[in-house]
Amino acid sequence: MRIAAGVERGPAVTFSVDGVAVAGHIGETVGAALLAAGWRDLRSGPGGGGRGMFCAIGVCQECVVMADGVVREACRLPVRDGLVITTRRLRDVR
Amino acid sequence: MARATDAAPHGTADVAIVGGGIMGCSVALRLAEAGMRVVVIDRGGIGGGASGVNAGTLSLQIKRLSLMPYAIRAAEHWAEMSARLGADVKFRQSGGLNLAFTEAEEAQLVTDMTARREAGLPISFLDLPAARAREPGLSDHVRRASFCPLDGYSNPSLTGRAFRKALTARGVAMIEHDPVLGIEAGDGGYTLRLQSGNVRARRLVLAAGAWTRASVLQLGVDLPIGARVNQMMVTERAPALMNGVLGHISGLMSLKQSDNGTIIIGGGWQGEGAVGEPGRPVMDNLTNNLRFATLAMPALAPLRIVRTWYGYDGFVPDFLPVVGVLPWLREAYVIACVRGGYTIGPCMGDLLAASILGEEPALPLFDPARVATRVNTPVPA
Amino acid sequence: MCADLTADLVVLGGGPAGGHAALAASGAGLDVVLVDEGAAPGGQVWRAPGVAVSNHAALGPDHRAGEALRAALTASKVRVLAGHRAWLLQAGFTVHAAAADGAARLQAPALLLAPGTTERVIPFPGWTLPGVMGLAGATALLKGNRMLPGRKVVVAGAGPLLVAVAASILKGGGTVAAVVDLGSMPEWLRGVPAMLGRPDLILRGLGWRALLLRHGVPYLTRHAVLRAEGDNGVASVTVAPVDGDGAFEPGGNARRFEVDALLVGHGLVPASEAARSLGARHLHVPALGGWVPELDGLGRSSIAGLYIAGDGAGVRGAAAAALAGAQAGLAVAHDLGRIDAARHTAEQAPLAARVARAARFGRAMAALVRIRPGLIAAIPPEATICRCEDVTRAEIEAAFDEGARQIGQLKAWTRCGMGPCQGRFCGPTIEALAAQRGIAAEAFGPMVARPPLRPMPIGTLTGDFDPAALTLPPSLPSS
Ligand SMILES: Cc1cc2nc3c(=O)[nH]c(=O)nc-3n(C[C@H](O)[C@H](O)[C@H](O)COP(=O)(O)OP(=O)(O)OC[C@H]3O[C@@H](n4cnc5c(N)ncnc54)[C@H](O)[C@@H]3O)c2cc1C
Ligand SMILES: Cc1cc2nc3c(=O)[nH]c(=O)nc-3n(C[C@H](O)[C@H](O)[C@H](O)COP(=O)(O)OP(=O)(O)OC[C@H]3O[C@@H](n4cnc5c(N)ncnc54)[C@H](O)[C@@H]3O)c2cc1C
Ligand code: FES
Repeated sequence: MRIAAGVERGPAVTFSVDGVAVAGHIGETVGAALLAAGWRDLRSGPGGGGRGMFCAIGVCQECVVMADGVVREACRLPVRDGLVITTRRLRDVR
Repeated sequence: MARATDAAPHGTADVAIVGGGIMGCSVALRLAEAGMRVVVIDRGGIGGGASGVNAGTLSLQIKRLSLMPYAIRAAEHWAEMSARLGADVKFRQSGGLNLAFTEAEEAQLVTDMTARREAGLPISFLDLPAARAREPGLSDHVRRASFCPLDGYSNPSLTGRAFRKALTARGVAMIEHDPVLGIEAGDGGYTLRLQSGNVRARRLVLAAGAWTRASVLQLGVDLPIGARVNQMMVTERAPALMNGVLGHISGLMSLKQSDNGTIIIGGGWQGEGAVGEPGRPVMDNLTNNLRFATLAMPALAPLRIVRTWYGYDGFVPDFLPVVGVLPWLREAYVIACVRGGYTIGPCMGDLLAASILGEEPALPLFDPARVATRVNTPVPA
Repeated sequence: MCADLTADLVVLGGGPAGGHAALAASGAGLDVVLVDEGAAPGGQVWRAPGVAVSNHAALGPDHRAGEALRAALTASKVRVLAGHRAWLLQAGFTVHAAAADGAARLQAPALLLAPGTTERVIPFPGWTLPGVMGLAGATALLKGNRMLPGRKVVVAGAGPLLVAVAASILKGGGTVAAVVDLGSMPEWLRGVPAMLGRPDLILRGLGWRALLLRHGVPYLTRHAVLRAEGDNGVASVTVAPVDGDGAFEPGGNARRFEVDALLVGHGLVPASEAARSLGARHLHVPALGGWVPELDGLGRSSIAGLYIAGDGAGVRGAAAAALAGAQAGLAVAHDLGRIDAARHTAEQAPLAARVARAARFGRAMAALVRIRPGLIAAIPPEATICRCEDVTRAEIEAAFDEGARQIGQLKAWTRCGMGPCQGRFCGPTIEALAAQRGIAAEAFGPMVARPPLRPMPIGTLTGDFDPAALTLPPSLPSS
């Protein structure tokens, strides 16, 4: 949920996650914008369970997604218009 | 309380083995099965040396031609390894490709692999489409490949755990995290000085990997053992990209995807460091290993490296194994410097054990005397 | 594109410690490059907001300190290389860093590490569910994105961040179902003498407490999370009373809260990997968060030319970090011969007393987040310890039972610590499990620190290259 008080969000952008359009604002990270959209489950762990942002500072790697074909940490990746994200599911790992 | 200097709190064994890598453990296994009282001593954990950190490639076709009979025998050992140890070492006979990128490499591939075929190794030559049928991710750089169905891999991380279990089951004593600080030859055998006290044994096997030179020197014998620093890398778990092990005719490439999806990348560009200290990466070499790997498999590029590590691989100037009786000593043996030793180790260990047991080994050993020199007063024989 | 920079000093980390180290060294005449993976300096506590903030005053003193640091760096000669992740450090010193759009190689005769900390979270069933997040991590979301981690949350764990995070969530318009604190009131009160040196922080803490009271947020002391549950993410959190050791009270009254987020943290662990990857000597000091470098009083490590400052050298808090950074920055200038002994002594003098006072406060806070053996013992066998590789406590214990005595063995045998977080999150727990078996941390060892310091894409490392230009080293004999 976005905090409203005392904040001026940057311009609105739309990016896609697994083909679904998600709204965000310049200055936000993909992880944060997804959270605001109620999207917590970002990938699967090796045993198949869902995983989401955990450390929020780029260390735990629980939030990694494919962004334009590159593995990126959603918690550190800034949103931008037209960004194409796919989440990494068990089917994608051996 | 026993004084560490003169007592032998660990008792007297038939054989003391210095070094619990794949060599020492393979010898121990066979000797224990034959009824000997064996003690294995390691300064770290069993299987924590090269045998635990190597690439795990069990490729026969990349082995030296002169070692072909040993490699082929070793493949039989590996096929039974998990059953014999009573623990899964994740052996997979995946088959493997050896690649040539250039015309010159192709010529060398044909020469070298034909010779191996004549030595009894099943090998076929594949053009790029045929190679891609096995390994779809191969790049256009590949001109030709040799394929050996007996090649495979296993998981070296499990070496220590698996051998510990097997040795425990056979009553082998293991002393871990306790370096052998000194060895003395005496009348009835050898006394090994450890931090925790002394170990006495009638026979001695030095299987200390790249560290073997220091142990041998304690007995007044020098073996000119040097060490190469191999750099390893592993990616995070990845989608299925590879089917088998991948090498290159230069011997500089080592690539495979393990069962858990991580891709293990070795290579011939070396790291730096001296035996006894942690190895260090050489940036350009690390990069070159990766570049060479992506030349073969471009799909590796987006994957992330999560870990690098370094291991020491011992060698003598002729790059042949040093396996057999140590000259000038009674019933002291050495087993070291086996290139591709993770693959061939089980076979070499078995052969040396046979010799210790007084049997005729099925294949000849590699006499340490060819490289040994005496460095100080002769040890009484 | 690979930028090659040389300087007198490279500072890794632009938080309070690294930022002030860079300023002090630059002020003393050194040419300094400051590298940080964040988009702007500030580090964790003084994090730069990614989104525009219209009301700076409302954001409090941490925000203002960050703005001040960023302004000072801009006004200084320090070359700031933000958005660059250092992944390989080499003796001498060379720092290899990578950015989204290229790489950089930084060379300097002196290297100052100020990499801060990572969070310690003691596992419980359900801690891998989406929506369960670190307590410190929550501050990153709140500060950087001005985003609430959930609409209705439980805030749990130990230490001063509990109230700070709960208060921020309330101020941001969220609901806090409960604050669940391992500590007790008497434990907090024990820290008061040390806190008296920082009346500003006491006041701020009391303000937060008052806010919780006004919102009627239950504050459960001597409680811990028993489990989190939910299908696709956390939906409920069950908490129960514990004793002073963190052990759940038999028959204690468990309480369940319906939430969409659980923020939980049990302290901070110094990020010692960078220094250990260079071979700097380390000691295990639980009161400082775990493995910390052996330093003289001014940040000099066991390696000549390598300096370490801030929470990465032992958790003492932001104020101490900033001062320690300045101390180390001056020490570099002195050691490189840029300022003479007299000036060095004069400039160090006022810092020493302040850093001691600040560290005292930090240590009082650290006592609250000490590892409680009862909480470790209570981790059930089926609970995941290593998140990256899904390794359970039962698997870890089986390896111990089979004779594993060192972290390297645990790793090899179970794969714990082999995933992309490189053991940063399971390491402290496994160390605590070893301790429960009487294995000393020194014998058990820390997870080996080797490059890359963060996962690095192969393509970034190879760059574009001409295959024909790749010269192969000589092959070994093949016949
Ligand atoms: C990085 C790397 C990758 C490799 N990849 C492959 C591969 O893919 N395929 C392949 O077939 N081969 C590979 N090899 C080679 C192979 O790993 C080695 O040949 C083999 O493991 C050697 O086994 P070892 O038992 O002789 O030595 P080690 O496994 O090193 O065992 C020696 C043991 O002796 C102990 N020791 C040393 N000194 C003392 C002392 N004073 N007291 C007590 N204990 C002592 C050490 O702690 C160690 O555990 C690789 C090697 C390296 C380093
Ligand atoms: C997620 C988190 C949130 C925190 N929030 C608070 C809080 O709200 N209040 C509070 O009092 N304390 C907080 N802390 C505690 C914090 O450790 C200290 O208060 C303070 O930030 C320490 O300052 P420092 O300069 O030592 O480290 P930090 O502020 O952590 O700065 C370290 C810097 O190093 C950078 N860095 C690390 N490794 C690399 C690398 N390999 N390459 C490039 N850059 C790198 C990081 O990006 C970071 O900017 C938090 C800690 C964490 C982990
Ligand atoms: S949440 Fe930990 S890396 Fe993004």
